[in-house]
Amino acid sequence: MTQAVTDAPTSASNGSGNSIIELENIRKYFPITRGVLLRRLVGEVKAVDGVSFQIKEGETYSLVGESGCGKTTTARMVLQVETPTDGVMRFNGTDASRFTGPERREYRASVQAVFQDPWSSLNPRMRVGSIIMEPLLTNQPMGKHEAQEHLETLLRDVGLRQAQGEYYPHEFSGGQRQRIAIARALSLRPKLIVLDEPVSALDVSIRAQIMNLLRQLQDQYGVSYLLIAHNLATVRYMSHQVGVMYLGRMVEQAPVRDLFANPSHPYTKALIAASLPSHPDIEREEMVISGEVPSPLNPPSGCHFHPRCPMVMERCSVDDPELRQLSPVHQVACHLF
Amino acid sequence: MVAADTGPILEVKDLRTYFHTRTGVVKAVDGVNFELYPGETLGVVGESGSGKSMTSLSIMGLVPQPAGRIEEGSQILYRGENLLEKSPAEMRQIRGKEICMILQDPMTSLNPVYTVGNQVIETLRQSDENQRSSSLKERAIDLLSKVKIPAPDSRFTNFPHQMSGGMRQRVVGAIAMAGSPNVLIADEATTSLDATIQYQYLALLKELQEETGMAIIFITHDFGIVAKMCDRVAVMYAGRMAEIADVRELFNNPQHPYTEALMRSVPNVDEDIDFLYSIEGQPPALDNLPPGCSFADRCPYVFDKCLEEFPPAVVAGDRHIATCWRLTPELAAQEAR
Repeated sequence: MTQAVTDAPTSASNGSGNSIIELENIRKYFPITRGVLLRRLVGEVKAVDGVSFQIKEGETYSLVGESGCGKTTTARMVLQVETPTDGVMRFNGTDASRFTGPERREYRASVQAVFQDPWSSLNPRMRVGSIIMEPLLTNQPMGKHEAQEHLETLLRDVGLRQAQGEYYPHEFSGGQRQRIAIARALSLRPKLIVLDEPVSALDVSIRAQIMNLLRQLQDQYGVSYLLIAHNLATVRYMSHQVGVMYLGRMVEQAPVRDLFANPSHPYTKALIAASLPSHPDIEREEMVISGEVPSPLNPPSGCHFHPRCPMVMERCSVDDPELRQLSPVHQVACHLF
Repeated sequence: MVAADTGPILEVKDLRTYFHTRTGVVKAVDGVNFELYPGETLGVVGESGSGKSMTSLSIMGLVPQPAGRIEEGSQILYRGENLLEKSPAEMRQIRGKEICMILQDPMTSLNPVYTVGNQVIETLRQSDENQRSSSLKERAIDLLSKVKIPAPDSRFTNFPHQMSGGMRQRVVGAIAMAGSPNVLIADEATTSLDATIQYQYLALLKELQEETGMAIIFITHDFGIVAKMCDRVAVMYAGRMAEIADVRELFNNPQHPYTEALMRSVPNVDEDIDFLYSIEGQPPALDNLPPGCSFADRCPYVFDKCLEEFPPAVVAGDRHIATCWRLTPELAAQEAR
């Protein structure tokens, strides 16, 4: 077995100047209580358990993993709808947990979100124009004329017609609704947009439109994305950096090309092996991992993946593997390395 | 693969399922033809509204009443007998025993107030009413272990909510297998499952197919499932069949512009793509179909004829049929000029 090249510095510590957001050893534990009057703490769900990564300006960072891996909780902490139990989140170099009043408002304006289901994320009683402009008008009051100009630019940028600003959401198809949600997210010129499964509710022929639109807007606006997705093909097309999560922990992290050229963690390999081929002649490396993701209430000891891992060794059930540098840009948490 | 010398087990001929609504006739399925051979896996691919699910409901005799109606002249021949002429009682005998269906969401296809064991037994009792309950229980546990549910004896008394999504879908699989059907229709059966669980489930279906020799129809929007599982593929668009061919033929040599465009617009796990092709526009509304080809307004090769008349089904190769004007001899000659 080869010893790791360097011991794992968290990704945050080699931070360069241009990272928008930095998460350092972030944790989120949800308490489980029992009893009504005397609420006793009977356990904790470690939804996110010591995750570190940074998102650079104008880049897309993707979190992949199966349900229950903590990717959505991580995104919610970035959106500050969930407070981390422990760890530091820095926004442009300053600790986001210390933000008060105006700073917090500025943070909220700088970090926006687009959700999976455009049927439930748009208010059915508001006209599209008002939906798109609401965040902007709340944050910076402006004249009618100026507002109209902003709206026109946004509608054009996401590929909608001017007149469509007067319509209601039900008059649009799924893809167009997602365009509306994107326009709303862009209205405040944010630094970061959290994209939570932005295309998985859409039809196949529409997905490519929205993915291309998101990439084009990234170039145009210089915005960063935190992409939550389970489809590896989508991740490969959209991302610069990818983090693979399993039961609340980061198991592998690398630039997208490195990750797909050289997947190292057995779980990453299994995910790629389980992804569906793009042609009937493509034979994947057989990599059957048995069983299901265990309950985060009572995760396995040592490496959380060891009960399902085909390469399991004795120490895996005892020692937590640290995230180690496989190369200057590629990190993996596995005792094999 | 396919035993072509025996006749088809299921033949769908000119199937037209219309919905008669106050605002007009919605042609959900409009003239669909295909055959299914014993032991074969047929993929039916399309976007939402393409009529793929309504085709499967028509086969099962479960078209929503009273608005939905299968029009005169449509035929669904199962072993040579027209299912559309069967009485409801006769259809009940065929459903579950001869033709079975697995739906997308196992939470809604299982009854939450009965144990999973009871639900498997219910189907077993359908096929033979005079069985003693002890032998029924034995057979039910046998089925649960056949779909690889760990510890089937203790799982027998579980309620659906006590199981994970993957387990529940296995139970649905066990219920479908209870009548040892000759045809299994899987309608987006793995869409709601996580990647590694989907992989296991697809492998399980393949195993069961090899064991029992049943024919499977996969209704899906995902070309990956088709590439992995199917022998033959039918591509549907706006209620009509765009193309049908053997899986390799279709992937290597797609003839219908929609198939071609759809394949190019799906991102790929296996290679880096710089720019994804996207089909502009969206599928037409089914209550107001244009007179010509339904794909005409999104088609890059569109010409006059496409807007006037719906194209005929043209033989485009060995066991390969596509409905496109470009493939008709007269127009091919015209184009060559």
